[in-house]
Amino acid sequence: MTPRENLLHLLRREGYETVPVEFMLCPSLEKSFQEEIGGPGADYMEYFGMPWRRVGELIPEDTDITRFYPYYDEIKDNMEIDEWGVGHESSPTSMHMTKMHHPLEDAEEVEEIESYPIPVYTEEKNVWVKDRVKELHEKGLASVGNMQCTIWETAWYIRGMENLMMDMLSDEELAEAVFDMVEKMSTDRALIYAKAGVDILYLGDDIGMQHSIMMSEEMYSQWLYPRLKRLISKVKEVRPDIIVIYHSCGYIEPFINYLIDAGIDVLNPIQAECMEFKEIYEKYGDRISFHGTIGTQTVMPFGTPEEVKENVWGNLDIAGEKGGLMVAPTHLLEPEVPWANILAYAEACREYKKK
Amino acid sequence: MELLQEMSELLQKGKAKKVKALVQQALDEGVDPKEILNEGLLSGMMIIGGKFKNNEVFVPEVLVAARAMNAGLSILEPKLVEVGNEPVGRAVIGTVQGDLHDIGKNLVCMMFKGAGFEVCDLGVDVSSDAFIDKAEEMHADVIGMSALLSTTMCQMQACIDRLKERGLREKYIVMIGGAPVTDDFARQIGADYYTPDAASAAETARSVVLEKKSA
Repeated sequence: MTPRENLLHLLRREGYETVPVEFMLCPSLEKSFQEEIGGPGADYMEYFGMPWRRVGELIPEDTDITRFYPYYDEIKDNMEIDEWGVGHESSPTSMHMTKMHHPLEDAEEVEEIESYPIPVYTEEKNVWVKDRVKELHEKGLASVGNMQCTIWETAWYIRGMENLMMDMLSDEELAEAVFDMVEKMSTDRALIYAKAGVDILYLGDDIGMQHSIMMSEEMYSQWLYPRLKRLISKVKEVRPDIIVIYHSCGYIEPFINYLIDAGIDVLNPIQAECMEFKEIYEKYGDRISFHGTIGTQTVMPFGTPEEVKENVWGNLDIAGEKGGLMVAPTHLLEPEVPWANILAYAEACREYKKK
Repeated sequence: MELLQEMSELLQKGKAKKVKALVQQALDEGVDPKEILNEGLLSGMMIIGGKFKNNEVFVPEVLVAARAMNAGLSILEPKLVEVGNEPVGRAVIGTVQGDLHDIGKNLVCMMFKGAGFEVCDLGVDVSSDAFIDKAEEMHADVIGMSALLSTTMCQMQACIDRLKERGLREKYIVMIGGAPVTDDFARQIGADYYTPDAASAAETARSVVLEKKSA
């Protein structure tokens, strides 16, 4: 099997030959990888033989971000505006992190939302995606359309999380307008990826906190669940075979049944510090697969290489020989994660012996 | 008092305009501003805090309740100053240096305010000296630090070390919180308290400060 075939079989719980290695490095770890391991310009995904690649970000019709300037009092030198109009301000002490600025933070009227110049995505502008998918498949790699901010997060980036949460309770019309705008854009994006033939559509919206869910089930099922379900069903109408992965950090157990019902196939990351993988697997492992499970708040930065390996092997044992777990760190690896632990993770994947 | 009871209930439902109107009505009727604060506003916020801690309500409900409290406070605060009301305590709260996440920290500030504290929100990316200087300036009781990242948790230790260097460690109650933070970590770095959520943080701070003051 090619790495792509192996991965797709694993995610569909149809057995697998090898354990795929997959993680993402922050810029400082990527730099140290090139300096100490791979050599100048080396690609860590290739070096570690990762089975998938993102096909790349879609290009909107209008790429001129100056149309968002009127939404800000000041465009600081250390601030970048992204394609959705969200501002990201960097700080000398915060590494690759930025502070977000929300263009519709002060909006009070539905008209202000409706006139917002949200980007428009079309197939015509993104015909390149098909070629990229083909190129990856020819190399034996799986293709991923990455949309990890799908509805809720994109909406809160544009409106501000606190404002949007309050709108959902006290200004429903405004919240509705924001969500409608984002759902339309995200559905268009998802369909472009799906029609271009990506193997995997990677969705996501954080709906959990460390110890509890971010909002009530009632609120979730009113606002977010129907929109996610609509988006996924449109995607699966055109591509019934596509694998939908959904990401949310934190504790989200009360939402898992909703996510399954909405049509997700794989759940990421099952944050080890928030949910017990064994328990989650036992409850939901016959209906969905998993990606992640190796804690990036605990074992990856602060554990020993042996502990990393034990974690990897223990979780693979839980999933069993049919697969269903793409074992990986639960989040981007941050600067404090030692290379010994990253190498131990990769070794553990390669050395794993099925029970 | 029925009016204050109604105010507390409306605050819990996040009815900012109505809460504000009731605060005005209570002031017009000559109700003691301290009583309006404690029985009308803070009582409602503390009930919301308790429900949040027990996962009966979630972040959105807390946000609208805090907005209603602030609406009431906007007209009540000048009157509280006039009658010389003293807050339960004073707290400086911020996200540590290198960390730009503020949602959790904002919730903590709201809960502290709802527990009767005067709060200085230092924002994000706050250096150790900025925490300490502000605490000194406002005669704070509590320094509250937040971090979302395992990368920035070490800044909590840095602030505690800096407090020691400046000979001020014993003067402040140091509280920490944030996604990767644990009780063990708090003990390891010598913080006084770790709490797992914003409501518990405010509750702990209130009882510790009141106990300290009554000692």
